[in-house]
Amino acid sequence: MSVLLQQLANGVVQGALIALIALGYTMVYGIIQLINFAHGEVFMVASYGGLATFTLLPEDLQKSPAVALPLMFVGGIVVAVVVAVIMERFAYRPLRNAPRLAPLITALGVSVFLQEAVRVFYPNAKSNLPYPKVFPEGNLTLGPVNVSWTGVLLVGLSIGLAVILQTYINKSRMGRAMRATAQDPDTAKLMGVNPNRVIVLTFVFGAVLAGVAGIMYGGYLNNINIDMGFQTGIFAFTAAVLGGVGSIRGAVIGAFIIGLIKTVAGQYMPGGTQYDYVWIFVVLILVLVFRPQGLFGEPERVRA
Amino acid sequence: MSTVDTSSGKRSALAPLGKPLAAAGGVLGIVAALLPWVTFTLNDGNWPDKSTLQFFDAPFSVTGFRWHVLLLGVLILVAAFAPVPSKGRVVRALGWGLTLVSFVNAAYITVKGGGLGAITALDGATAFGGVVGLVAGVLAILAGYGIGIGPVGDWKFKVSTPVAYLVLLVSFGAVLYAVAAMLTTGGVGSANPYAGAIFLSFLGFAAGILAALSGVGFVRWISALSEQHRVFSVVVLAACALLLPFTDAGNEYWMTVAANIGIYAATAIGLNIVVGLAGLLDLGYVAFMGIGALVAANFSGAATAYFGFDLPFPVAAVIAAIVAGIFGAIVGSPTLRVRGDYLAIVTLAFGEIFTRSAQNDIGGFTNGSNAIPGIPALSLFGTEFNRSISIGSVKLPAGVLYYILIVLLVAATMAVFANLKFSRIGRAWIAIREDEDAARAMGIRTGKMKILAFLIGAMLAGLAGAVFAHKNGTVSYESFKFLESVTLLAAVILGGMGSIPGAVLGAALLFVLPEKLRDFEDYRLMIFGLALILIMRFRPVGLIPDAHRRAEMVERADENAEEAHLEAKKA
Repeated sequence: MSVLLQQLANGVVQGALIALIALGYTMVYGIIQLINFAHGEVFMVASYGGLATFTLLPEDLQKSPAVALPLMFVGGIVVAVVVAVIMERFAYRPLRNAPRLAPLITALGVSVFLQEAVRVFYPNAKSNLPYPKVFPEGNLTLGPVNVSWTGVLLVGLSIGLAVILQTYINKSRMGRAMRATAQDPDTAKLMGVNPNRVIVLTFVFGAVLAGVAGIMYGGYLNNINIDMGFQTGIFAFTAAVLGGVGSIRGAVIGAFIIGLIKTVAGQYMPGGTQYDYVWIFVVLILVLVFRPQGLFGEPERVRA
Repeated sequence: MSTVDTSSGKRSALAPLGKPLAAAGGVLGIVAALLPWVTFTLNDGNWPDKSTLQFFDAPFSVTGFRWHVLLLGVLILVAAFAPVPSKGRVVRALGWGLTLVSFVNAAYITVKGGGLGAITALDGATAFGGVVGLVAGVLAILAGYGIGIGPVGDWKFKVSTPVAYLVLLVSFGAVLYAVAAMLTTGGVGSANPYAGAIFLSFLGFAAGILAALSGVGFVRWISALSEQHRVFSVVVLAACALLLPFTDAGNEYWMTVAANIGIYAATAIGLNIVVGLAGLLDLGYVAFMGIGALVAANFSGAATAYFGFDLPFPVAAVIAAIVAGIFGAIVGSPTLRVRGDYLAIVTLAFGEIFTRSAQNDIGGFTNGSNAIPGIPALSLFGTEFNRSISIGSVKLPAGVLYYILIVLLVAATMAVFANLKFSRIGRAWIAIREDEDAARAMGIRTGKMKILAFLIGAMLAGLAGAVFAHKNGTVSYESFKFLESVTLLAAVILGGMGSIPGAVLGAALLFVLPEKLRDFEDYRLMIFGLALILIMRFRPVGLIPDAHRRAEMVERADENAEEAHLEAKKA
């Protein structure tokens, strides 16, 4: 029983991480129907950006977490946002009216490019890099369950940011423009919405969340590598699909489900953690077959 | 939209300067070819083709890349002043070729020589070849815009069958020569320190010439001609492929590389059925090749094979294809309910499940991360396929038998593809690709057809995988990961979706480049990613687009241009 509880707790933490990334996928897909495969790499780049920020800090600042950690968040988020905006402007925007396959291939290209660029140009990126110890130390102990404070922070950030995002999209003027563009870009344009601004903003929001996730990943797992973007990105995308692409609430709940499947199946299913990956995809396929619109998605509209 | 505006803007400013610019570019190109390119001897030896200062010993014996520069210069002059259809396009393409060749050589010399002194003036020696070549290339590109980028030339004239045969024969012969040249330029790997640069330079030259031929309308004409005389073209192409071992490329190394390309080309053709014809995006396709390879390996009598007996290769290959096909149908079955991007995710998920399972030695079939080693080479009448053979007095290199087997495999896959494409099934697939609901309304059983596409595609991949297993001797899950799926997809898209020669060309480019660019090993994948982005941006139809599809794209592009025009008017 205590093992199960512990795994559930681990699953919630992993789910929180995945949720931060899944939100980026789901927003971009909701607005321009693009599977932005490179979003996982934005998360990875942010993680390296945070590490680089830390490395560049003077030594006495490195020793005070209260200063270093916020600066790392800033550094990582800035890198993520810059990469995402450049990517949108130069890779995706020219293809806005192209056949649907084209942007998808471009996204794969961007993904490979970013991963390799970091591998080649970041010092020692070929091996795992240790992440600085500026995160809250110690564990939160609740009966048999132990969760590191970093994990608790991660869950808090994830849920908090998701709520803020949901509120922003539902209440603000810009959020309304986003929803309008997602529903019908042409009509939205007629109503005075600038679709380019909305789309860039969507990428920026996704990048900010991915940036937070990138830093927290390093803090929670203590080291980072260039493959993290692809793997976590696939989980996140799966979560977005599971929840119903385009739905904020769906992405978050989907992410927690994925996190829980990963840890619980890794513990109890045959094959152990070596096959945890496989169960996630099995669930994904089953969901897509029996409820293609995902748990909270609207049924796919047939496009004329 | 914006591209239309800028090009028309440039045209108006450059219009009167078109021909003079082309003349200047052509002449400067010729001058560049005759100038030295390097001021001193680099550490790794003279820059190839006497382009170091020693060139003055024999000023006019122009070879190698300088010959290419000379040729491009002359062709620019010819194109500018002879009555050539779609002049602007041709001049621009040649200009790009010149720019690329000059840039590759100049940049390489600069980097290796440690500074711009190497390509300008240093210690009293001058070598402005590279700079002049670059200027010439840029001038020619501008000249192209000045003359105006019209529609691609359209050759209406008909030729009699014997003439058509002759033209096709010569064209395909030229292709064979170009392929052999492309493989052998710069030598094998480390033999020549400048191999990478020589190859890239050659690629720039070839791209310029090919683009010019396509701009002038020749490529379209030839493809229409070969479509008319399909059987003849196929026979000649197959003969050309079988002749490759007799050219300069006929050594063991290139036979091995060519055989590997062939395996991936066959797989890419299979993928082309799924993606190109039926329009179903498959992101885990390489898994079927992996399944085929693993099945064949397990029936091969290798030490760690699951079944302790050795089936004859044809039987094992058929079983491999069938097993892969069954998995294909299973993976394809969600297509009954899942569409578009979601389907891509299902296939990606399947691919990942395959990799993960194979890595963990599922059911004892894959030997996990240790791979299945020692798969015996194929043999026929007691001759092992990886030995060299002699026909009469001609000694053929080792691996040539694999090469031939794989050429036959590719030919067979092509035949399957072509027959399907022009059959009732193929038309049904294309209809589904264009509009699934309309296709269903026309009485096509879309579900059955989509699963059939997956099944046939997977079988072809399984077959290719079986050959792969025997040829390489080991099968590891490492060869069948997501990146390979992406590379195959890139090969299909780069070549042109739904087009058969396109898939072969795409696979060839994507699998030769890494062999040739060992110098850039580290940057290889980065360049690959960038190339994917650029292709989608500038030539989403691929290098050799399928005729039907091209027509569609051009129509769409025209519509877009019209829209842009209207918008510009409004503003």
